[in-house]
Amino acid sequence: MILNIENLHKIYDNGTHALQGIDLSVNEGEFLVIIGLSGSGKSTLLRCINHLVEPTSGKIEFLGKDITHVRGQELREVKKQIGMVFQQFNLIKRRSVLTNVLTGKLGYLPTWNTLIEKFSPEIIAEAMQNLETVGITEKAHIRADNLSGGQQQRVAIARSLMQKPKLLLADEPVASLDPATSNSVMQYFEKVNKEFGTTVICNLHFLSLVRRYATRVVALKAGSIIYEGLPSDIDDNWFRTIYGEEAEEVEIR
Amino acid sequence: MSSHELPHAIIGAKKEREARISLTKAILLDIFFVFYSIIVLQRAVYYKLILDLREMPFAWSEIGFIFIASVILGALWASSRTSLSAKLFGVARESKVTDLTTELFGWFLFNITFISGWIITKISIVDIFSPDGIDGAQRIFGSLFTPEFNIFDDALFAIIETIYIALIATLISIPPTLVLSFLTARNLMKDSKTAFASYYVLRVFLNFVRSIEPLIWAIIFSVWVGIGPYAGMIALLVHTIASNAKLYSEAIEGIEEGPIEAIAATGANKLQIIWYAVVPQIVLPFLSFTIYRWDINVRMATIIGLVGGGGIGTMLMQYQGLALWKEVGLIVIMIAVVVWIMDYISAKIRESIK
Repeated sequence: MILNIENLHKIYDNGTHALQGIDLSVNEGEFLVIIGLSGSGKSTLLRCINHLVEPTSGKIEFLGKDITHVRGQELREVKKQIGMVFQQFNLIKRRSVLTNVLTGKLGYLPTWNTLIEKFSPEIIAEAMQNLETVGITEKAHIRADNLSGGQQQRVAIARSLMQKPKLLLADEPVASLDPATSNSVMQYFEKVNKEFGTTVICNLHFLSLVRRYATRVVALKAGSIIYEGLPSDIDDNWFRTIYGEEAEEVEIR
Repeated sequence: MSSHELPHAIIGAKKEREARISLTKAILLDIFFVFYSIIVLQRAVYYKLILDLREMPFAWSEIGFIFIASVILGALWASSRTSLSAKLFGVARESKVTDLTTELFGWFLFNITFISGWIITKISIVDIFSPDGIDGAQRIFGSLFTPEFNIFDDALFAIIETIYIALIATLISIPPTLVLSFLTARNLMKDSKTAFASYYVLRVFLNFVRSIEPLIWAIIFSVWVGIGPYAGMIALLVHTIASNAKLYSEAIEGIEEGPIEAIAATGANKLQIIWYAVVPQIVLPFLSFTIYRWDINVRMATIIGLVGGGGIGTMLMQYQGLALWKEVGLIVIMIAVVVWIMDYISAKIRESIK
């Protein structure tokens, strides 16, 4: 078991009770997909795992170690082992693709060297290697904001690979991409999951993508888990429970 | 308490505390409103407008009495939850009484403020159309439009001095402003209690420095280091640091959170996050503010010269004191031309670096 979450609650300062007692275990090598409506707590759950959001109560264990209340250097050690990919890519727009990928290594390098932007040839080679994994080596020296959305997301994946993550969190990674690009970006997540054995936890909206890539599905509604099982087991009944009576599945190809 | 009840207890406690704080604020504001109304009605409207007194009677005991009366009235009024402040802080009861009082009292406050402002400003139609006044104005305007070119070379040196005072003040201000702006950016300083405390102290301090006009700083420094360009430069420097630190820190607060989150998620430390996620986003706005500030400082340096800060302002003051209006006319024209050129150049530079 790589990740174990017990009775996790998150209450934001404005009083929103985003997570209401989440219990979840994730095994090594899984491709876990979390589904649910916007506002159901999917993002908050991912962000609690790597402490971009501080959980209010409950327990999070990562690699058998309680990381619920770690701080400072200890927390950075945890973050180094958990990669994260965002819906809005969150690249540094004005810098080159290569620099963006290199930032994934910051936690491993001495502060001073990174502030004068001195990276050893081995690390640059590693960055190029990761760019090759996502298939955009030729764009290495272009400014990040000159890339298309799908390419930017692949750079973001390469950046997280620099961390050699045990766990990769993906917060709606394809929600701002078109259907064709979505699928190609999802294939890179699959590649990372299968080739490097990296555990992936991914928030998704489209069930067609869920059925294709997930090894297990968890559905959230109003901050609680209401379904847990295989993607093939989500039938019309479950679909309406998760997305509401009015919902109708739209096929994305 | 079981762990399951805990979150709901937290939510409830939070809401209750917020409501209490809002009501306290409403009470304080209502006390102020009542106190303000009584004082303005008594002093401006009754003494000045109705009795037309020249000397205002003043007694602390009277003010104290009015204050105590307003504390009681304001507290009662806000507690009834039908007052203007209760409405403003969202703790008012929904009722016709609330709507009526807020509307009436709002109008009342606006009107007494306008009337007392009119009285205090001593607005007078007679003064602006008096023949004597118009004569004097004509004399000065006439001289200004027939400038005396004898002093052109002196004035040119003086105005160059002014431009350099502004330039040096702006350049020296950059490093301290950078450091201060990071320390006063809320989004960078909210993580720990000590960081937030120093953020708060620095903010208050900078607000204080900024609230003192460069003109007053110039008076202080002309006593400290002696009258001249040096005093003017330090005055501008102090004010530039305080103002730009605020602008810079607001630019930092306005940046995209996404890249910060992304870099933080890689396990990078604070300095690395600032260098990779914050700095690239703020370089251009900072440059733009700094160039604009140079432009502002040239104008301010002129004013500061009036109180002994050196440059063209000091020269203007001397000729104005001697009532040599034609010379003053030349200086005013030169200032206008330089300010116009600076304005144009800085606008062009700022456009090109966007």
